[in-house]
Amino acid sequence: MAAGARAASGEGARREPGRVHRFVEGLGTSAVDGARAARLFYSILIRTLYYSVRGRREKGAVLRAMYQIGNRSLFFITVVMGFIGMIMVYHSCTQVNRITGDLHLVGATFLQIVVRDFAASIGATMIATRVGAGIAAEIGSMVVTDQVDALRMCAAEPIDYLIVPRFKASVVMTTVLIVWSMAVMTVIGMLTAWGMFDVNPRIFWNTSMVDYRDLTMGLTKCLAFGAAIPIVSGYCGLTTFGGAEGVGWATTRAVVWSIFATILLNFVISTVGFYVFWA
Amino acid sequence: MIRVTALSKRFGRKPALDDVSVELPQGALWGLIGPGASGKTVLIKHVAGLLTPDRGKVEIEGQNISAMGEVSRQRLRSRFGMLFQQNALFDSLTVAENVAFPLRRLTSLGEREIGERVDERLARVGLTDFRDRYPNALSGGQRKRVGIARATVTRSEYVIFDEPTAGLDPVTSQKIFDLLHAEQRAMKSTALMISSDVAGLMTVVDRVGMMLRGKLVFEGTREEALASRDPYVRQFLRGDTEGPL
Repeated sequence: MAAGARAASGEGARREPGRVHRFVEGLGTSAVDGARAARLFYSILIRTLYYSVRGRREKGAVLRAMYQIGNRSLFFITVVMGFIGMIMVYHSCTQVNRITGDLHLVGATFLQIVVRDFAASIGATMIATRVGAGIAAEIGSMVVTDQVDALRMCAAEPIDYLIVPRFKASVVMTTVLIVWSMAVMTVIGMLTAWGMFDVNPRIFWNTSMVDYRDLTMGLTKCLAFGAAIPIVSGYCGLTTFGGAEGVGWATTRAVVWSIFATILLNFVISTVGFYVFWA
Repeated sequence: MIRVTALSKRFGRKPALDDVSVELPQGALWGLIGPGASGKTVLIKHVAGLLTPDRGKVEIEGQNISAMGEVSRQRLRSRFGMLFQQNALFDSLTVAENVAFPLRRLTSLGEREIGERVDERLARVGLTDFRDRYPNALSGGQRKRVGIARATVTRSEYVIFDEPTAGLDPVTSQKIFDLLHAEQRAMKSTALMISSDVAGLMTVVDRVGMMLRGKLVFEGTREEALASRDPYVRQFLRGDTEGPL
């Protein structure tokens, strides 16, 4: 029989496996896939850190990424964080009014929680939805159109060329955006307290409850979230398969896992911070 | 010499390559034909070290690329030029920047020499006037020609062309085949070429292989292929609608 005919006839095909066999096989495959994914993510994380120090610098790549991540997110972040500041102060004042009616510490507690946690965690979630999706979509499209393989053929390491500039830009611009978010939330919160509850801005602007520990926690979260979003999204982009549908799924995964990563990091940093500073 | 031994690869449950073995002599132009989804692109991606096989190996001049780490692979890949099926032009770079990209990455040439090489390549593929355009402003055929210019600009020892004439008219297709053939001869490079334009491909190749459902079902000289009695090879080469395919 000709070789072609042998291939076409599927000679040597085995008997179909049973249901239990398929279940066990599926379980094993999932476990192996999970372990592979974890190893790949770890590899991307380590290589991103390595190339951040030792990689090849593309002229203007970091600045372009900073513009994409920072400037293009500014309007979105300003509006969203402004509304969240307004809602937080409105509800805080409403609740305090019901219990004691003394609003003079609302500003102090609001500033503390914004600096220590809320600006970073809510801001990073917003950045993850916008920036994470963008990174995954761009890299994912490059994967499905073979551009990432073309980079490899030109001795351009995709992590160095695609993820590292976004990583550096994100660490800087996430911090800048979150600090900006703190300012926006504070100003809008102050105006809300003044306009709706007659709290004088000089009373609201009370930084007595904010100390170096809150600033350290807030800044640590900014840096950690800024680092996590591009690595998680880059991982999702680089593991894209299929066509346009695959890119869509990569984008969704990037948003979900970036938000998950920020929540997990928030928990870890808050716990460590509690034991270091307050316990 | 490129030697592929018992290469197998699965994507999920689906076998993409099944025990493929072949030897490509140095300086030969090897054509690879076969129906869609038969494993041709997967095979050449293994040869370029872009995929790692489940079993088997690919040796380039005796070095097992399949067992290498990424850094060693990258070093070996720098001896390859590759045209991808979808061209894989970088959207954010102009035509000239795309063609110059491998030179900037793989060579120590100065900007003036890079510019001259890029101009020469673009002239060879008839795209001199398009150097400052972005890929999304080009037609499919023009993008293909930019991809060819980028694949050949480094004058590599090994060149891989995945569908170099897809989307081109018959006259341009034959011109491209002739151009690639002439350059392969001039550079004494080893070339792998996948093409659905079987008639055009057969005018330039030294040897030809045929893939079918992940298996290499035929490998031999051009004359042997044309004289093959294998019904699959015969039907594919003749383009008959009647037959086992």
